[in-house]
Amino acid sequence: MTTTTDTPVDTVVRVEDVRALLDGVWESFLGAEEPLLTAALPAHLGGWTAAVSVTGTWRAQITIEVVDPLARLVTAHMLGRDEEPAVEDVRDALGELVNMVGGNIKSLHHGTAMLSLPWVGYGEDAPPPLLRETCRLDLTWRGLPLRVLVHVSASAAAADERRHSG
Amino acid sequence: MKILIVDDSRVMRQIVIRTLRQAGLGDHAVVEGGDGREGLGLVQAENPDIVLSDWNMPEMSGIDFLQAVRASGSTVPFGFVTSEGSPEMRSRAEAAGAQFLIAKPFTPEVFADAIGGALGALH
Repeated sequence: MTTTTDTPVDTVVRVEDVRALLDGVWESFLGAEEPLLTAALPAHLGGWTAAVSVTGTWRAQITIEVVDPLARLVTAHMLGRDEEPAVEDVRDALGELVNMVGGNIKSLHHGTAMLSLPWVGYGEDAPPPLLRETCRLDLTWRGLPLRVLVHVSASAAAADERRHSG
Repeated sequence: MKILIVDDSRVMRQIVIRTLRQAGLGDHAVVEGGDGREGLGLVQAENPDIVLSDWNMPEMSGIDFLQAVRASGSTVPFGFVTSEGSPEMRSRAEAAGAQFLIAKPFTPEVFADAIGGALGALH
């Protein structure tokens, strides 16, 4: 067991915690009939990217990547409608989805930090270079791929690795 | 009864309205606002019986909105519906005069309990 004299903010993001949060969000807003399934996905999905950042005593970026057909399916489900959603509604729904997942991940960590407003775009969104990927979930829903990524401050990730390997 | 829903996401406002219906609160009038500033104007213009507000919004955040509502002298029941439910957020909400904080994702049962409790406390 490792002990420290100070009380650093634990920046470790556990894949199982993120998966449980994501499953909760999915079940609540998209139904429990068809669960998210783990999948092997290509490096680049293409399509939509939605991200929120956390700044403060814990610094991170939470990103969700989805292909366009899934983005539209998710939006239609969230709106409770069958018809094809407008692009602005897709942008809105994906922003709300990443806001919920990001807000719940932030709530797992103590310390003072702020959650940004969501950013949503069509295409790749490279994280800032000072952040390092610490969690990746490659999944499908109804056979369509999505990816959830958590990047944290590279220096904090290194400090966590030292503490947790002790 | 009139319910004011303030959220910058139109999709989330629709989900909240649907959840109110599932919670047995679908018979009430609903007024919608897109951020805290708009919400503040609607509190004054519409005199709602309860306010459900997001926290993280452009223009005016939910906590600034609540503080402005209380500074205006209004005692309207006010609850947050937000993605963050940490103890720190809950204590900030309570200190500013909120009656409850519902963390997303939520269920109709949580809505019924929180809103019923806030309105019941008035009577």
